Amino acid sequence: NLMGVRLAGSHVDTQESKTNPLVSISDEPEILYKRLSLLVKGHDKAVLDSYEYFAVLAAKELGISVEKVHKPPKKIERLTLLKSVHIYKKHRVQYEMRTHYMCLELKYLTSSTAAVYLEYVQRNLPEGVAMEVKKTKIEKIPEHIQEPVWDTLPQVEETEVKS
Amino acid sequence: PPSPQTRAARVRVGKGDKPVTYEQAHAPHYIAHRKGWLSLHTGNLAEEPGAAERAVEDAFLRRFFYGTFPGILADEIVLKRRANLLVVCLVLARGLPPSKLYFLVGYAETLLSHFYKCPVRLELQTVPAKVVYKYL
Repeated sequence: NLMGVRLAGSHVDTQESKTNPLVSISDEPEILYKRLSLLVKGHDKAVLDSYEYFAVLAAKELGISVEKVHKPPKKIERLTLLKSVHIYKKHRVQYEMRTHYMCLELKYLTSSTAAVYLEYVQRNLPEGVAMEVKKTKIEKIPEHIQEPVWDTLPQVEETEVKS
Repeated sequence: PPSPQTRAARVRVGKGDKPVTYEQAHAPHYIAHRKGWLSLHTGNLAEEPGAAERAVEDAFLRRFFYGTFPGILADEIVLKRRANLLVVCLVLARGLPPSKLYFLVGYAETLLSHFYKCPVRLELQTVPAKVVYKYL
C-alpha cells in the first residue's frame, strides 16, 4: 500500500548523468611541483602548534609526503615611544610585537593535489595567522640546452701557429 | 618587571567594593600569559600590511557596539578576521527581550557589512549578570 510513501528523494528519472559541476577533467599535462613550502606566521605559539598538527594530519590523509617541519626563530619588533603626550622626554614606553614562524615543506606534488591541499588548509587558517606559499616547479630542460654546445658546433680544423 | 608607577590598563586597588572582570583585572604584561587578544588579525605580524586600517576599524566597531547595546555589554567585544569575514563575539547581560536583541543583531550585521563591504557575523552569548573575577 503506497498511500503515504513520499516520492520526494527517489530517483524517478535516472536518465540524468551524475556529473559534479565543480569537478573538471582536462587533458593537459599536469604541472609537477618538487617542493611546496608553507610558511605560517602568528603571534601565538600554541595556535601555530595546533595548526601544524592539523596541516600534517591533512597531508598524511591525502597521501602527501612531508619533507620536514621546522620552526624558524621568532622575530621581535620593539618600539620605544614617549610615554606622555606633551613633554617628559626621559619617560618612555616600550612595546614589542612577536612573530612566531612555522615552516612546512611538502615533497613531490601534482598541481591538482596542491590545489586541493592548499584550498583545504587555507580555508581553515585560524584568525590572526598568515601564510605564505612557495611552489618549486619541475620543468623539462629546454631543447637548446639539452646537448652541450661544443658537440653541436661544426668541427674546426686546427691550424698550426708558428711562433 | 614594570615599575609600580605605571598606570596603563590597570584598575587600581580600592576599598573592595568595585567589581572587576577577568579582562580588566589583568595588566597588559599578562597578554599571552594569562590574557588573550581582543582583536585577532594579521596586520601586526612582521612584513604584513594593514595594521593601521585594522586599528581604526577596531576602534569604530567597539564604539558602535557600545552604542547599539547600551548598558548590556558585559565585557569587551572580541573581533576575529578570517579572510574578509569579520566575526564579532559579544557577551551580553539579559536586559532586553530576545525579539529586540534579534532586531539589533540583524541591524548591526547588515549595516556593518554594507559599510565595510565584507560579510559580518555576530556571535552572541547572554549571561545573567556581569561575570566578576574579583572585587578591588
